[in-house]
Amino acid sequence: MSEFRYSNIEREMEVYGYDSVVKSHCRMCHGGCGVIVYVKDGKIAKIAGDPDCPIAHGTLCTKGLASAQLAYHKDRLTYPVKRVGPKASGKWERISWDEALDTIAERILTYKEKYGPESVVFGYGTGRENEAVIYRIANVLGSPNVLTAGHFCYGPRISTSIITCGTNPIADYENFPKCIMMWGNNVTISNPDEYKGEPFSVALDKGAKLIVVDPRLTRPAARANVWLQLRPGTDAALALGMLNVIVNEELYDKEFVEKYTHGWEPFVKRVKEYPLNKVEEITWVPKEKIREAARLFATTKPAAIQWGVAIEQQINCADNDRLLMFLMGLTGNIDAPGGQVLNRTPNVVNVGQFGAHSMLPKDQFAKRLGGERFRLASRFAIIQPKCVWDAILEEKPYPVKMLFFISSNPVITRANAKEVFRALEKVEFLAVADFFLTPTAELADIVLPAATWLEMDYVSDFWKRHGYILPRRKVIQVGECRSDHEMLNDLAHRIGQGQYWWENFEKALDYILHPMGITWNDFKKMNYIRGEVKYYKYKEGGFSTPTKKFELYSTALEKMGYDPLPQYREPPESPVSTPELFKEYPYILITGARQPGFFHTENRQVPRLRELHRDPIVEIHPDAAAKEGIKEGDWVIIESRRGRVRQRAKLALGCNPRIVAAQHAWWFPENKDPGHGWDESNINILTDNALEGCDPAMGASNIRTLLCKIYPETKEGCHE
Amino acid sequence: MNKYALIIEEFACWGCKACEVACKQEYNPIDATNGIKYLSVWEDGPKVMNGKLDFMWRVNVCKHCEEPPCAQACPVEAIMKREDGIVILDYERCNGCQLCIDECPYHAIGFDDEKKTVTKCNLCHHRVDKGLYPACADNICLAHCIYFGDPAEIEQKILEKRKARGGWGDILPNAIMVSRE
Repeated sequence: MSEFRYSNIEREMEVYGYDSVVKSHCRMCHGGCGVIVYVKDGKIAKIAGDPDCPIAHGTLCTKGLASAQLAYHKDRLTYPVKRVGPKASGKWERISWDEALDTIAERILTYKEKYGPESVVFGYGTGRENEAVIYRIANVLGSPNVLTAGHFCYGPRISTSIITCGTNPIADYENFPKCIMMWGNNVTISNPDEYKGEPFSVALDKGAKLIVVDPRLTRPAARANVWLQLRPGTDAALALGMLNVIVNEELYDKEFVEKYTHGWEPFVKRVKEYPLNKVEEITWVPKEKIREAARLFATTKPAAIQWGVAIEQQINCADNDRLLMFLMGLTGNIDAPGGQVLNRTPNVVNVGQFGAHSMLPKDQFAKRLGGERFRLASRFAIIQPKCVWDAILEEKPYPVKMLFFISSNPVITRANAKEVFRALEKVEFLAVADFFLTPTAELADIVLPAATWLEMDYVSDFWKRHGYILPRRKVIQVGECRSDHEMLNDLAHRIGQGQYWWENFEKALDYILHPMGITWNDFKKMNYIRGEVKYYKYKEGGFSTPTKKFELYSTALEKMGYDPLPQYREPPESPVSTPELFKEYPYILITGARQPGFFHTENRQVPRLRELHRDPIVEIHPDAAAKEGIKEGDWVIIESRRGRVRQRAKLALGCNPRIVAAQHAWWFPENKDPGHGWDESNINILTDNALEGCDPAMGASNIRTLLCKIYPETKEGCHE
Repeated sequence: MNKYALIIEEFACWGCKACEVACKQEYNPIDATNGIKYLSVWEDGPKVMNGKLDFMWRVNVCKHCEEPPCAQACPVEAIMKREDGIVILDYERCNGCQLCIDECPYHAIGFDDEKKTVTKCNLCHHRVDKGLYPACADNICLAHCIYFGDPAEIEQKILEKRKARGGWGDILPNAIMVSRE
């Protein structure tokens, strides 16, 4: 058996006759996994995980494995196009890169001149590690408006962690936590941000206890020691209840509290407002279970929290994040091995510096859309999408004339999709850079062909907080596709920003790496670079916050005029907050559970991934289904106050009978109509984007918890 | 005694389906619009088990039985067990009669409507014979729950893992062990 070795590169080359092999770094989701790409006759023949990768240790998900099918897809846009008919008419004409970029440059300069740089909004969705490059071009231009998912995804973790403890605390699987609390997350499917399912899985195999907080039965929930099946949207109350137990039973780390926290007394007072009886009533979780979970988490050392985006797409976004950090901190797990580490990144130009935020003039900063309302978000250069749609549709507080979306499909991914569609129909000029003509791109004036991760060189993961940077090495060239980075570097020269950019993007990579005294050419010969590994750094220098303490009472939020202490707010639509509406829409709708193979709207045209999920699925408890006359596999209508869509019913005992769980981000690339079925099953037709329902500090749209009705589709409407 | 086995400890499976896609990558050209695969991951449950709501992922794949009933059922001798334990379906020889499908106790044999042959996992014997792991077992699994090699050694590894987990997962893997009973 000794002859067998995982990812045996030499033998693979020999057996299959591959011509070459490139080690690179996948970016089919937020990245992280080292990969081995085999090439034959100039084309990718096989993709495998790289066992030398410190992040995923050679394991690889469905998306990474199917990347070549994305790169070589027959429908891929491989040259720039301009629209020659009305919007959404599907009439396109091939143009040169020069014509495309000159047209975009001319528009940018014209709008800047006539309406100010703030009238030009750049945007990305989950990004293609292009975030810092997009911020750079916007900031140098003087536009304070970069529309990202940051208001309700990862941005809140960054913003709230910086004001609480200096940086985003990352679960330290390397040192094997003995207890893991997985909160609103399933890392084994989603592999989010800094995290991959593999190290989590290994930690469980080493004997870690598992607590899962999730309204749905996931496999981790089924495997957990304690599963807290909470009412959707009540995470903040549940966390306050657990903190109540930890405070009352004195299970907290007394030295940490005494020496390193700010605001203990007011915090304790706040926590006492959430006794377990009240928390049980709010969350539907039996108080015995809350106590059991709090005790297990607080008394098992070290312990870590596997967290993610679900708790951020709610009205309690910022407080949810802070409360989970409080659980980490008060149990002594912050910056502890096997707990939640405040990693040091390697000494490179960081994303904030590269993004040139300091170049945005103060008077332009003041014009950031929604900046006066969502003050925490604004401080971290994040804006709220509805503020952009309003600026287009109503020209308030000023007109937005141009959108440039680079890796974003907001028609599908942002709340209140109908309004998003109207705004994109109305905006004077829309440019898009993407792999395909998505429903968003179909509304554009110009669409640029973007490169996949297989087609670019990059310093991967330099925006992350896990402490590593890894080289992404270009393997192939597809058509005229260009990376967003090269494209923006070129565009920047055409709008007079040349002095702040580079002759080519390789020089920018040299710039990122220069503090380490190395160039891209040096780095691409390395496997990875890791920042200094050190624990309990706060014991020497304190935390990087205004008080140098771990801030339970946030001085930053207080200054911005927010409640400095976390609180629970009822979801804007719920049986409690809108009982009248609940009579008409008697189910709580949750959205967005991740599916293997998809990354939000991506990959529905990639055969190996679409085969995993043909149709959009809504889960409903068999009892509720029986009541509504719904059978397994039926197409059903899900309806909210704002609209209706169709998905296919799956009867699931793991769903509370009062809840239905719908999938998100569906469109149908196989539908050749230019709309590609954007409004057929897109759950954001149902979600609300009213600013009153958003998190007051971050502007997070509440897309995870709303009210709906559900019923069988009529025969006439049935597509089968 | 088998020298090789493919054993999946389903208790640890998260349902990520990477093994399915790795299998498709091995057996289909990149531009294929639908992919043949020889294993499939499916949801068992949720259902109430021992008074508790539970569900598991299951992986359906040929178990390369010690005495494969599919081979006995095949009228044209298209299925053979090799000395090293791998049960191989000869696609050239298969006449598409499908008698083996009903005989397989694990529902691990499929049918290819285009080529009119049955389909099943041949344990990537073209790789194994060259010293390479089967595509699904080549370390892609994030749960590290797909094992290839000597069945006794694998059994030992799984027992050690269970012990480290504190007894978790006292469920027999879908192993070849089943066919030993």
